[in-house]
Amino acid sequence: MPGRTRPIDKFATAVANCSKETSAYGKCILADYNNVTKDKCVTEFLKLKNCYLASAKKR
Amino acid sequence: MNTFSIRAFIPPVTRRLLPLRATRRYAVQSPGAPTIEIFSQQHKWMQKERAARDVETSRRVDYLRDEVASRLCERILDINRDFPQVLDLGANACNIARQLTLPSEDAPEAGPRGRRIGRITAAETSSSLLYRDADLPFNSQIPLTRDVIPTSEILPYEANTFDAVLSSLSLHWINDLPSVLAQANHILKPDAPFIGVMLGGDSLYELRTSLQLAELDRRGGVATHTSPLADVRDVGGLLQKAGFNLLTVDVDDIVVDYPDSFALMKDLQAMGESNAVVTREKGPIRRDVLLAAEGIYRELHGNEDGSLPATFRLIYMIGWKASPTQAKPLERGTGMFSIKDYLEKGRVGGGEGEGGENGGESK
Repeated sequence: MPGRTRPIDKFATAVANCSKETSAYGKCILADYNNVTKDKCVTEFLKLKNCYLASAKKR
Repeated sequence: MNTFSIRAFIPPVTRRLLPLRATRRYAVQSPGAPTIEIFSQQHKWMQKERAARDVETSRRVDYLRDEVASRLCERILDINRDFPQVLDLGANACNIARQLTLPSEDAPEAGPRGRRIGRITAAETSSSLLYRDADLPFNSQIPLTRDVIPTSEILPYEANTFDAVLSSLSLHWINDLPSVLAQANHILKPDAPFIGVMLGGDSLYELRTSLQLAELDRRGGVATHTSPLADVRDVGGLLQKAGFNLLTVDVDDIVVDYPDSFALMKDLQAMGESNAVVTREKGPIRRDVLLAAEGIYRELHGNEDGSLPATFRLIYMIGWKASPTQAKPLERGTGMFSIKDYLEKGRVGGGEGEGGENGGESK
């Protein structure tokens, strides 16, 4: 829709600034993706989330 | 027991949003096994309507449907006969009709692909999507009738009406596939083909697995985000059960690269192909899960150039309605020579032993 940025677009641009954290989190899950339990990669995820939050706040 | 029905007082658009069981008040005894509702038809209709309202975006994401419709049209060209009456079942935005007005890529000088097609009837539940391209020039180049049908599960046509039934990328939202295929068989004239293509098997497995892993890690459980799909092995059985003969089933993978997983999900939504499973989790996917899924998608499936591939597995099916004049397999034990001898002869002679008969395409 013109004249309006969709929330998903804002989300996508904010996440795009955190490629290092995204890849670190993905690697952590992939290290043993047959045995994933809840909060297996919680430290990597929190890093990613903090980066996203900071990046989203900037604009 | 409440026998009073307020159905007549509900405005038509709202009525379509309500589940059928909320408004239907008459007693029915359905023969045979009860139909299991996997996909919510109301929700699917709503998604298609919403998607088609945004005409520009909706046209932009037609790349998949146009490509698949084009490949389907090539298959129609393989059959050497005229089709005065054709039904396009689940027409979306009449993609098949538009592709039929374009010439074939193999023979651009031969004219439009639909020259042997008389009239094409496009049946679709969502009227906004169906009439989206009603003012484009291709409408005058092919005789096209648009039919808005109340539900995609019941085909409101007389028996022996059509010379071919086509279907492109809509059968994967049908709950009772055996019934719809049997109805398609019913409305075909004898010795007429059904040519369909549906998403199946491993379609979008990248998205499916990343969302599953992300939800496992973030929430400790898995919710349904992608539809269950028919497998290639099932399709042959389904067609046979519906009464089709001389079956041809084949598989084609289209891999589309996206910049990120959000672009893929946005495009799926704009196509009107979002999740419509009845038991889906209501409400949007949580941002935590989206964030996690993006990372997993990128690491698990991502290309080296940073794009994310999404696989669409297309199952093409061709079946012919039975007719006494049709070619039939010979009876057992009537073979006059051994195929073993034939194959061995080919091998000794050094030639390519073409033993098998290509039965399906020989019409």
